[in-house]
Amino acid sequence: MANAKEMKEVLLGPVFANNPIALQVLGICSALAVTSSLKNALIMSLALTVVTAFSSLFISLIRNHIPSSVRIIVQMTIIASLVIVVDQTLQAFVYATAKELTVFVGLIITNCIVMGRAEAYAMKSPPLMSFLDGIGNGLGYSVVLITIGFVRELFGAGALFGVEILPLVADGGWYQPMGLLIMPFSSFFLVGFFIWVLRTYKKDQVEAKA
Amino acid sequence: MSSNNETIGKTLGVVVGLCLVCAIVVSFAAVQLRPLQQANKIEDVQRNILAAAGFKDVENVSQKYSQVIDARVVDLKSGEFVDTDPNSFDFTMTKFDAERSFAVPKEDDLAGVLRMTHESPVYLAKGSNGQVESVILPVQGYGLWGIMYGFIALELDTKTIKAINFYQHGETAGLGGEIQNPKWTATWEGKQLPVDIVKGTAGNDIHKVDGLSGATLTSNGVDNTFKFWTGDKAFGPFLAKVREGALN
Repeated sequence: MANAKEMKEVLLGPVFANNPIALQVLGICSALAVTSSLKNALIMSLALTVVTAFSSLFISLIRNHIPSSVRIIVQMTIIASLVIVVDQTLQAFVYATAKELTVFVGLIITNCIVMGRAEAYAMKSPPLMSFLDGIGNGLGYSVVLITIGFVRELFGAGALFGVEILPLVADGGWYQPMGLLIMPFSSFFLVGFFIWVLRTYKKDQVEAKA
Repeated sequence: MSSNNETIGKTLGVVVGLCLVCAIVVSFAAVQLRPLQQANKIEDVQRNILAAAGFKDVENVSQKYSQVIDARVVDLKSGEFVDTDPNSFDFTMTKFDAERSFAVPKEDDLAGVLRMTHESPVYLAKGSNGQVESVILPVQGYGLWGIMYGFIALELDTKTIKAINFYQHGETAGLGGEIQNPKWTATWEGKQLPVDIVKGTAGNDIHKVDGLSGATLTSNGVDNTFKFWTGDKAFGPFLAKVREGALN
């Protein structure tokens, strides 16, 4: 049985020390697409965390019975089923947000984080640790998404969770929103800044020069 | 991993078993959640009809909807009201029902809808005194990537646009997706049919609206959609009846 220290390491390591987006550079596409508002970023983060955690759990539970010749297909089937369940749940309970997230919930299936953790960790680790690893990586993804969503919505639309923070010029305030931040590609810059800040703070993440 | 996992029997067993379990889980979720999803869908359409009628940010959608909106069905060719249940229309599906729809001849199909229904729901928005103040027509048309679904609300003169509202589309977020931007839809208010979408030169011309920059094809689609649905091949006959006072 894993001790508490190891569990903490697995759970919190991916948040900053081994962040799936910033260090492993996985799952960038959805980070660009769904972060124009904080609410979308939050729901997407939740959806991804749930899928990663449970897919790691289930894959780990049957890891000793998965024939290695079909292991990727087995992983995909489990992940895809979970994603469909999550997608259906979102459509039932938060319809408006589900409509805005459109295809990106479905595309969690192809998100490299989920597959990456299943293949790299869950296939060789016990269920509880795999579950925590899934949550940890989901949290790492969430930190980046929420940071980017925060910056984009605050400076791109002058609001947070749709509530006006910086009064816009158009509504008689003083803030001229940065239209650039509403466009998906602005996330590239923000992810870049995030990685820059993180690597300035944690020097060991800087790749060795060839 | 033990090597006996690799036999054909075990491989097939694991795969078939997993598929069964996953199929059960997925179908259970889909079936259990369907009533909620459908209720959401209906409420979403109602919310958008209300928005087109000028009621924004309504708290209790279905209650407000039953108070101020009168849904009727018109025969498009004659423009007369018929007795069909307006709730039997699913805007994405009904036009593929062979009995209720037909293929639009190519030369008429300005909006790229391919098929349309013989009858269509229209929504009459009532003012505080119970008098009908505007007619809301469901419209659809091809943008850049796919069909855009929306509503157009017209005053009773059937020329003045009260509001437009797109509630479902697959246009590029940030470019064509801006057809949902309230600032853009507001530029339609008070314009008079026929409206042309132009590039940045509309000014105060009541027959012109500025298109969306970076979304020429979407703008063209919107232009064609409104031209088609307010024209003779679609709601034209009904609008003519409204002008003659059919609603009074």
